Amino acid sequence: MQRRDFIKILGLASGASLMNSCGAKKGAEKLIPHVIPPEIEIIPGQAIYFNTTCTECPANCGVSAKVVEKTIDQQLERYPVKLDGIKNHPVNDGKLCIRGQSSLTRLYDPERLKSPLMKDENGEMVECTWDDAFTRILEALKNSDKKHAYISSRTTGTLSSLIDTFCNRLNIQRLKEFEIFSYATLREAHKVLFDRYEVPSYSIDEADFLLTIGADIFETHGNPVSHMIQYAKARKKGMKWTHVEPHVSLTGLQADQRMVLNPESELYLLLYLARQLAGNRLTQLPDPGLDRVVQSTGLTEEQLKDITTAFQNASRPLLLIGEIATSSEHGLEVAVLSGLIQWTSGMMERGIDFNHSLNYDSVGTFRDLKALAWQLQNQDMGVLFMSKVDPVDKHPISFYLKENLSAADLVVGLSDFMPVLSDDYDIILPLSHSLESWGDAETRKGMRTIVQPVLEPLHNTLCEGDILLKILEKRSGRALAPNFQEYLFARLKRTLSNDKVEALLDQGYVETSTPVGKLNLNLRSVRRFLRDITLPQLPEGMVLIATPSLKSFDGRSRQLELLNEIPDPLTTITHDDWVSISEGAAKERGIKEGNVISIAVGDKRIMELPVKIQPFLSDHVVMVQRHMLDTFALSISDKTGDSINYLSRLTMQKTGSNVDLAIMAGSLSQEGRGVIPNPAHHDAHHHVEGRKSLYPEHAHENYRWAMAIDLDLCVGCSACVAACYIENNIGVVGKEEHLKGREMSWIRIEPYYEEDGTAHFLPMMCQHCDYAPCEAVCPAYAPYHNPEGLNVQVYNRCIGTRYCSNNCPYKVRRFNWKTHEWTDPQNRGLNPEMWARPKGVMEKCTFCIQRIRFAKDKAKDENRLVRDGEVVPACAQACPTNAIVFGNIMDKESEVYKWAHSDRVFRVSEHLGTEPSVYYLQRKRDDHSDHA
Amino acid sequence: MKKLLITGYFLIFILIIVLLGGLWSSYRDAPDQPIAFSHKKHLTYVGLECDHCHQYAEVGLQPGIPAVSVCMDCHEAVATDSPEIIKLTGYWNRKEPVPWAGVYYLPQHVLFTHKRHIKKGIDCSECHGDMKVVEKVRQVRSLRMGWCVTCHRENNAPVDCWTCHK
Repeated sequence: MQRRDFIKILGLASGASLMNSCGAKKGAEKLIPHVIPPEIEIIPGQAIYFNTTCTECPANCGVSAKVVEKTIDQQLERYPVKLDGIKNHPVNDGKLCIRGQSSLTRLYDPERLKSPLMKDENGEMVECTWDDAFTRILEALKNSDKKHAYISSRTTGTLSSLIDTFCNRLNIQRLKEFEIFSYATLREAHKVLFDRYEVPSYSIDEADFLLTIGADIFETHGNPVSHMIQYAKARKKGMKWTHVEPHVSLTGLQADQRMVLNPESELYLLLYLARQLAGNRLTQLPDPGLDRVVQSTGLTEEQLKDITTAFQNASRPLLLIGEIATSSEHGLEVAVLSGLIQWTSGMMERGIDFNHSLNYDSVGTFRDLKALAWQLQNQDMGVLFMSKVDPVDKHPISFYLKENLSAADLVVGLSDFMPVLSDDYDIILPLSHSLESWGDAETRKGMRTIVQPVLEPLHNTLCEGDILLKILEKRSGRALAPNFQEYLFARLKRTLSNDKVEALLDQGYVETSTPVGKLNLNLRSVRRFLRDITLPQLPEGMVLIATPSLKSFDGRSRQLELLNEIPDPLTTITHDDWVSISEGAAKERGIKEGNVISIAVGDKRIMELPVKIQPFLSDHVVMVQRHMLDTFALSISDKTGDSINYLSRLTMQKTGSNVDLAIMAGSLSQEGRGVIPNPAHHDAHHHVEGRKSLYPEHAHENYRWAMAIDLDLCVGCSACVAACYIENNIGVVGKEEHLKGREMSWIRIEPYYEEDGTAHFLPMMCQHCDYAPCEAVCPAYAPYHNPEGLNVQVYNRCIGTRYCSNNCPYKVRRFNWKTHEWTDPQNRGLNPEMWARPKGVMEKCTFCIQRIRFAKDKAKDENRLVRDGEVVPACAQACPTNAIVFGNIMDKESEVYKWAHSDRVFRVSEHLGTEPSVYYLQRKRDDHSDHA
Repeated sequence: MKKLLITGYFLIFILIIVLLGGLWSSYRDAPDQPIAFSHKKHLTYVGLECDHCHQYAEVGLQPGIPAVSVCMDCHEAVATDSPEIIKLTGYWNRKEPVPWAGVYYLPQHVLFTHKRHIKKGIDCSECHGDMKVVEKVRQVRSLRMGWCVTCHRENNAPVDCWTCHK
């Protein structure tokens, strides 16, 4: 083809496409009004907030759902676009963790079950109507003379009582609820000690010395968000904290003093501590002797003395145990002994609260799962209901359960995603998300919270309560209640006063009075128990520790893409499963990061996973998040029914294959670059006043926005990262892109492991430099400095040269390599206050400029300036420890001004002369950390 | 041959101009509405104010499109036999919203707030023209960035990019 012909055709084609694209716009966008204005008025463009309850984990935090009206597919509907904590909520006081934030992506996940499914003759799962499903269930219930059973995950409140009614009327046995994290050991210990099979709630905020043994209070234990809030309060009052663990956990890294003991040797430590701290009353305790304690635990004599002295010197010490410490063979002994120390040091009156214990009354243990598997194996199961539970974990018992599930006449699953065992299910009923359902929860004694719908169900789903009511109605022809909402309200009105019900609906929670029961030590059972304690043999060689997961909890959140996209804070790995080993162990065996190793117990191969080298990990410990194990190798404690999360007699072998792990951090060390200078160099040579610049000084009229982050409070929980993704419509790109370094997160947590055994977690986002290197190099003038001190990106000007990103020393600019697909219904959850940037555009943190704009708009209405604390960026709002403050640094009364003038302050790479607007506060150093 | 080529060239050129011309008129044209609502009737003859129907103009980003029930407040009794009102009643009886065609279009990355402009005392007609004489609504301002910025400059309003871009 001639060049000219080509140009001619090109001209015609572009003319035609121009006509098409422009012509389509006119009148195509429909303005859809309401038919009748809704009861709750929404001003167009303004959000409204509903108080409800998070159901991502048993903590049941209060959630304030931000809801906007949107026209999608010519339908005007309300959609939640952001979740945050309810202010002053007794559990989570305005904060929400990484999983709570991501709950919104569960709602909009395209993989959710969209209609009831039934197995046809060929064994295929096909869509069916609700009515067909109910008919089949009722037929099976009627025709089978075997027993029927109902198993669910932890369920509280009205739904739990409805399940009871349902089971009674249809002659179904309600099994103990199943939770992988059932706290069975703790509960058993409290039964031995006080005759109370309960999990108490904790308040850390009053403690002046905290000793945690194995408990991952910031990750999964009890209520992590409330622990973080309390920790921040205590920390500001100067609380000292010692953490003892055999592995490396996020919680442990935050402690002033982190001590590493040998796996499963907690009993020796506790025996030592009990003798030292609980006094002479415990004469029947075996005495291993100091030497043996030192030898078994691997702690030095000095460390042991440190703990006891700190404990004895403290006026309000607090001891918490859990997770790793209670999940060994001797977990129960450990828990009982620490219960004794807690009791004798008066912690039950202060810090450990049995009057508001967590509601685990009907939660069973793995033992109950054994009974179920047995029943299945005996061909004695008619209809089995499995609600929100995938009781297949890492134990042989789950294997039997899985093998025998098909022995039941009919297995009915209630789930939001396709269950792991879906092959063996006969009917799968899709559940609505909690944001689409009515309900309530009683997460702990004296606390009721409401679950209320904020949108119409997106798919053909029902909430569990409605399903049960409909089955009952179909059976008897008479409705117990027209729907679960009515049923709920009837019960609420029966059990609460009118004002309480109103308060419940309005603020999302009410506190009710609980009987104050006095704890009594059951001396007889304690004596009997202590008499039977024997000194255990400790495992030799390599030990594997299966840990809970910050992001996936017990594995229930692993299908959420957003959580996979956010780096694990310890290793910065995304999207992958891995096993952590120490540098020493890797060197010894010639293993490199990414090498797939095969791990065997004895001669039984249990898993193959790629390796990540974990700083601070002991050479004889292998660490893996339990949901990443793809094996039934873990065992169950005979004494408590809890899971034992240790495997010993390990052998490790390279398989020869390799996996490219998506590791986001270039290094887990500062490499001596002084990212976090030590000591903070407020007036050191880095900071040069009156630096010469080619550019004129920036003038600021009323506002100059700045942020300050206290590294002493940041625990690396990554709630801010999830909040940022959702607030700013940031695309989720997947592992392939991550491997190319094309991640999109605007804020990231940088873990730095220091040589002195401490670790830092540094949240890094656009530093909004006064002399921003990105601004000077853009040929299109897309990044510029606005009059309020923000470094802003004008997306429409951006032509994608990516010079700015190359020139940014903080690596915070993100380029859209492709247009992100927000498939329906994900597009419904986009924040309308923010544009979803298209391909070819550079983007980055804006300090949540939409929130600044909102606050300024409001201030202008009231003819004033924005007040301090009125603008809260999404990261700061989510941060459970309030480690981030934001505000106008020109206002000398503002919090951010005070923080920026703290004597711990520094800015990252200050020597570059970029003059960032983000100030960091160095971790508080003390005597402890120096020799830790 | 050469002559033919030149003629062809011209033909293509003319075609493009015609196409563009067509585009321009379609840009200027008022889109068809599901119901031929007349602003003139309601504002001039009935004497309604803008905010009778667009009640959020002073408080919200968008002025709000009135709910069908607002129309029916009057039209349950008024002009019930007119063909357009029969259409309206049809929507109401089916409990369907009227799918009004959007006339003023702003790209997704632009944030425009009616509230700020109305509170500043800018009359609706500055941007929408005199609706009292309009039967069928069409766009009367370009809504291009230059047009916005000119006005902002004249009135000392902020011209920082992120005032209006999102």
